[in-house]
Amino acid sequence: MMKKLNFVVNNRKYSIEVDPRKTLLDVLREDLKLTGTKKGCGSGECGACTVVIDGQNVNSCMVFALDMEGKEVITIEGLAPKSGEIHPIQQAFVDHGAIQCGFCSPGMIMSTSAILEKHEKPTEEQIREGISGNLCRCTGYVKIVDAIQSLAENK
Amino acid sequence: MSFSVVGKDIKKVDGIAKAKGVARYIGDIEFPGMLYAKILRSPHPHAKVLSVDISEAEKLDGVHAIVTPEHQPKTRYNMAGFPPNAEEFPLIEDQLILTDHPMYVGDPICAVAADTEEIAENACKLIKVEYEILPHVIFAEDAMKEDAPKLREEGNVMFEAPIKFGDIDAAFAESALIVKESYSTQKVYQATIEPTSGCVAMWDDSGKLTVYSPTQMPHLARKIIGTALDMRLGDIRLIKPHVGGGFGARLGLVIEPLTALLAKHAGRPVKLIYTREEAMAFSEHRHPCKMDMELGFTKEGRITGMRFTNIVEGGAYATHTPSIAGIVGPWAFGMYKMQAVDYLGKAVLTNSMYNGAYRGYGNPQASWAIENTMDIAAEKLGIDDLEIRKINGFGDDDIWPWSQLPVESSGLNECIDKGAESIGWHEKRGKKLGTSTKPRGIGMAVSCHVSGAKPGLLEISGAYVKINEDGTANLIIGNADIGQGSTTALAQICAEELGVKFEDIIVETDAVDTNYTLFDIGSHASRQMNSGGNVVAKAAREAKGKMLEEAAVMLDVKAGDLDAKDGIIFVKDNPTKSLTYGEVSFEAHFKPEGTQIFGTSSENPEGNPPVYAAQFAEVEVDTETGVVSVIKFVAAHDTGVVINPLNTTGQIDGGAHHGIGFALTEESVVNPETGLLENRDLANYKILTAMDMPEVVSIAVETPAKTSSHGQKSVGESGLIATAPAISNAVYNAIGVRITDLPITPDKVLAALAKK
Ligand code: FES
Ligand code: FES
Repeated sequence: MMKKLNFVVNNRKYSIEVDPRKTLLDVLREDLKLTGTKKGCGSGECGACTVVIDGQNVNSCMVFALDMEGKEVITIEGLAPKSGEIHPIQQAFVDHGAIQCGFCSPGMIMSTSAILEKHEKPTEEQIREGISGNLCRCTGYVKIVDAIQSLAENK
Repeated sequence: MSFSVVGKDIKKVDGIAKAKGVARYIGDIEFPGMLYAKILRSPHPHAKVLSVDISEAEKLDGVHAIVTPEHQPKTRYNMAGFPPNAEEFPLIEDQLILTDHPMYVGDPICAVAADTEEIAENACKLIKVEYEILPHVIFAEDAMKEDAPKLREEGNVMFEAPIKFGDIDAAFAESALIVKESYSTQKVYQATIEPTSGCVAMWDDSGKLTVYSPTQMPHLARKIIGTALDMRLGDIRLIKPHVGGGFGARLGLVIEPLTALLAKHAGRPVKLIYTREEAMAFSEHRHPCKMDMELGFTKEGRITGMRFTNIVEGGAYATHTPSIAGIVGPWAFGMYKMQAVDYLGKAVLTNSMYNGAYRGYGNPQASWAIENTMDIAAEKLGIDDLEIRKINGFGDDDIWPWSQLPVESSGLNECIDKGAESIGWHEKRGKKLGTSTKPRGIGMAVSCHVSGAKPGLLEISGAYVKINEDGTANLIIGNADIGQGSTTALAQICAEELGVKFEDIIVETDAVDTNYTLFDIGSHASRQMNSGGNVVAKAAREAKGKMLEEAAVMLDVKAGDLDAKDGIIFVKDNPTKSLTYGEVSFEAHFKPEGTQIFGTSSENPEGNPPVYAAQFAEVEVDTETGVVSVIKFVAAHDTGVVINPLNTTGQIDGGAHHGIGFALTEESVVNPETGLLENRDLANYKILTAMDMPEVVSIAVETPAKTSSHGQKSVGESGLIATAPAISNAVYNAIGVRITDLPITPDKVLAALAKK
């Protein structure tokens, strides 16, 4: 039943037994207790579960955990360099009022990190496209786009 | 008046926890021995349960408890969160936790608690239920027909709300113009990104119940749980964790009594979390309304009177429906002065999942009808759209008919002017904009909304401020912050009134606990800034007064000679003579016969200042495809004195997002044959993405309220209300056709253009 999975999450090596039917999202939340990654739908529609895998933003509810063999996953918990520190993207979201209920925020912030990986200075168009898979019901995206633009400007 | 903390862009107190992913929501809460629950629901829109056989399910390994209608108290409840003074509409208590007479597809029949969700789900499949299928009816018009299946003895219209004043016949007889039009609004979904809802419940050995619920109203939710479970309220402790959006979807109970019932039978903590599909198909959406409106005008454009009928499709249980039927009319006549009104709202039972509260609470429906009508009238009378709104609006000294309380201050005209300037109204309106296949137009609409529920509902809020021995202060409030930032803003009011730095206020947005907070009717009706602000200011003033008295003894002056700012208590005439909050509080605690200094307040606010707003849209209509795109959206709101600018404009931005979706893309489609919601996922229910959203400009107009603590009004809902009619009026301006039934979809636009 259970299968072995070796992968790296937030720079830490894991070698665990997982249920092969489980998604990466469920393994992160249930097996690794990394509950910062949220489940808003479980079917690839909301982006609340976004993590970064090898530099790409991915809906973790849409991939099987076993497919992560040998891969490097970064979740919201691993974005800041050390615990007790805050990553500039996270700080920009707080400073610009881009967080209301906060349920979309971990996914939104992980997508932002992928946008900033891809584009040195993303345009508003590229920002909006980059977060178009992340639904937010609180902010109208206005202050989220502001926050990301401030990061692009400061680069 | 200048403030030192109020009006500043203070960052949300829980922003960092949310940004870092450490804020715990209901799905993140775990306890040792916790079980997971699933619900067996009726597959039929109307049926009788003849038998339930759980014997196979019980044998499944890992199943700990199965509850059926036999296991529940027989007390009926209404899951809508109303305080007990809801006299103007009946609080029909027609729900049970589980049913043997399902009234909609999804009505819970049984529930299972097991070691995993998967086992619970498999157990549900093993439960055998025999049904007798009964005739059903899904839409309100059908339910009102003579031969419709009767869903209750007294008939399917569960409540009628007639509201009349003045002589409507005389008013119409005097009118130079009467505009008569029919409108409809669709069922729409709040779409909280954290699916609504979930719950964790557990009992201790003495029979006390603890419920974790992501509710908008911790105290009222506890009260309804008490009714549903037939329990003493004091034996129930409700704790609200972080909440992933509310918008009305959590204005009452969702699944708390059932989770508690399962936990009782299992003797272990139980967690029940809705999937997105359950959240969409089996939680309350906004009521669809069918409205006929007649509005009379003098030739100068003054409104003479309004005749307005409104059929509200309620779904299978009463919940909020009578209240919505009663309130849509007042929203319309709360916007403009008129001498005569003849309104009739009807609340209709049907066999679909019931509808409930959603941001605006009947006002988006009212606004859709009256603001399209105003646009029609302005054109017919040859009066400027901005002007016709201004001449009919209320003044500062008027009594606002919605509340029968003073308007206090109206910033409507300034909202209209500032919004018009931002959208370029005067340069663009009346000009041909866009191209022949992609004409553009601009339109506007205005709205009024509340700063609370008074006097319709009792509005107690409560606050408790305690000064710690080092001079920091805990602000303890039962307000439910569901992401809007009310807790941060209330902490600003607290710091301002104490005269301390914002950082010295300790306040929690999660873990709002009914055992330790004073009664508060919750976060709805945009009420926290007004009602919450009132009690926080009073509690803080009380504590500050005691601090000054203590300091006066220490400094050997009179308390009246002292004031406090930034945590320093100083002699007003000689500010160098001073003590810190910490020094004074330490002395208060530890002198002989010492005492801790605190302040409390629990009361209703004095007023309910209305919030006026003007919304403007520029749209482009593709006449080949029928697609309407919003190019720019401007929302100018009379927010009163702004407590926190980022939070305030954030509310307006978010309201615009809901409103544009309501106007163009969002619709919950119920299949009349099966009774089931067709679009049960976010791929088929279209909320706008970042790519779909236009530029939004949110403007706060600060016309101070007279009765609130710092002149603030509320802003939680107003961003949504006039959005759809502003877009509709812009579409009319672009293409000369008006779509009166929402949403404005490409096929409706093309059909209307073909008929033109
Ligand atoms: S939870 Fe993965 S996309 Fe919604
Ligand atoms: S902040 Fe609530 S969903 Fe984005």
